[in-house]
Amino acid sequence: MSESLEVEDLVTGYGKQEIVHGVSLAARPGRITCIFGPNGSGKSTVIKAIAGALPVWSGEIRLADRTLSGRRVHEIVREGVVLMPQGGGVFPRLSVEENLRMGGYSIADRHWVDSRVEALIGEFENLGRRRHVAAGSLSGGEQMMVAIARALVPEPRFVLLDEPSAGLSPAMVHDTIERVRTLRDRGVGVLMVEQNIREALPVADHIYVLAGGRRQFGGSPEQIRDDAQLMSLYMGG
Amino acid sequence: MDLFLQALANGVLIGGILACLTIGFQLTFGVLHVIDFAVGGWVMLGGYAGYWALTLLGLDPFISLPLVAVVFALVGRALGPLIYHVRTSRYARPDLMALALTFGIFIFMRGGALWLWSFNSRNVDTAIAGPAIQLGPVALPVLRVVAFAAAAALSLAVFLFLYRTRFGLAVRAVAQSRENAGLMGVDVPRLSAQVYAVYTGLTAGVGVLLATIYSVNPDVGVRYTLFAFFVAVLAGLGSVGGVLVAGLFLGVVESLVAIYVGISYSHLVIFGALYAVLLISPQGILRRGL
Repeated sequence: MSESLEVEDLVTGYGKQEIVHGVSLAARPGRITCIFGPNGSGKSTVIKAIAGALPVWSGEIRLADRTLSGRRVHEIVREGVVLMPQGGGVFPRLSVEENLRMGGYSIADRHWVDSRVEALIGEFENLGRRRHVAAGSLSGGEQMMVAIARALVPEPRFVLLDEPSAGLSPAMVHDTIERVRTLRDRGVGVLMVEQNIREALPVADHIYVLAGGRRQFGGSPEQIRDDAQLMSLYMGG
Repeated sequence: MDLFLQALANGVLIGGILACLTIGFQLTFGVLHVIDFAVGGWVMLGGYAGYWALTLLGLDPFISLPLVAVVFALVGRALGPLIYHVRTSRYARPDLMALALTFGIFIFMRGGALWLWSFNSRNVDTAIAGPAIQLGPVALPVLRVVAFAAAAALSLAVFLFLYRTRFGLAVRAVAQSRENAGLMGVDVPRLSAQVYAVYTGLTAGVGVLLATIYSVNPDVGVRYTLFAFFVAVLAGLGSVGGVLVAGLFLGVVESLVAIYVGISYSHLVIFGALYAVLLISPQGILRRGL
């Protein structure tokens, strides 16, 4: 349990507007934890706050008994928590290799980053041939692969995924969710915000449902399937 | 024909300097999304700095240039956070507010220069002189060749910095997506202020070069702001590679117009050309961003 990523009574928002009103949740290494909920429920806000991209107003975020709340993005990356932005967020006019290098931007040891970049380019065999190609010229699926490889550069313990399937074709959504599964198989903990419940539910190990900036449900996929009311309320059947 | 070649050579030599002048302007637009009206003001102040370094310290402008660049980079580093703050403020129309701010800075620079140094033009003499280099029918003044070479070296340094360093990589990433670069751990406000420092330092350095060729007075800023706008729009706002082509183009057009049509027509022709470019290809001729 002590290796978990834990969020306790998180309150945060944009500017002066409070969006998340005291949410608690936990993600474990080697597990896929999904956050579902309608638009505006604060799910993306929660993971942006975990990554340090939004200030934590109150509450606490811990990873293995080390406090993450109140720290900057680059410090949180060094602690082993990386956020993959919505749609992958690759830099279109940087090459594949440069994109991966940006993934290691927060790490001071450049030789280490170089070796990580080489290892990942070797591992994702389609990337090797395209390492000097502008990422924006790749297909949607290849860009997603760049985004995932980039997220793995700092050797994270947890990857936060902000709606990885947003804006993708149905076939691509399936592909992307499958890739998320490979992250878990590496022992990385995944905390994923998703709209596409049909695709995400089968891979999820643990589920939270948010609505109106509050937690409405926390439990296993089996439990949520049994809860007909919750299914119809928040998940559209 | 000889006259044409001479005009072409003059144009290329000046165009290279104008291209260098616009690189920093483009960086600032790419990273901070600010169109800096004060670009000509930094050129003008750089020219004066070169003049005073020569007059008070006896430094040749080509020696004081790096010094001037460093001093103005420090000024830009101090000013950068304010520009960033205004541009990213959550109040209405931060883009226009930033434009108004830099316009105000520009007016302040010009007014301050007039008040301190009056309208007189100052020449910035350099030890680099001597007979022009004869290349067939074309005569290349040594000073202009050296100034061109200095501008080329500065431009090359900026390109190496952008494409060969970790910091340059981060600059390009921020230019493409501020938010995603922030998620990679880039301190965007700090990097933006640093880019503004590179811009002010580079532009003031170019100001020293231009002052050795044309002399400097408080009003030269307007002319260089217009030139930077022209080169930037022609290249495509935010495009750094395009300014090389666009700068040379501007230099050559201006030189040809000055020789064949008359110098008083040069702005007319330049802005006619700009108008045509905006009509035909509003993204600029080289469309590619940073």
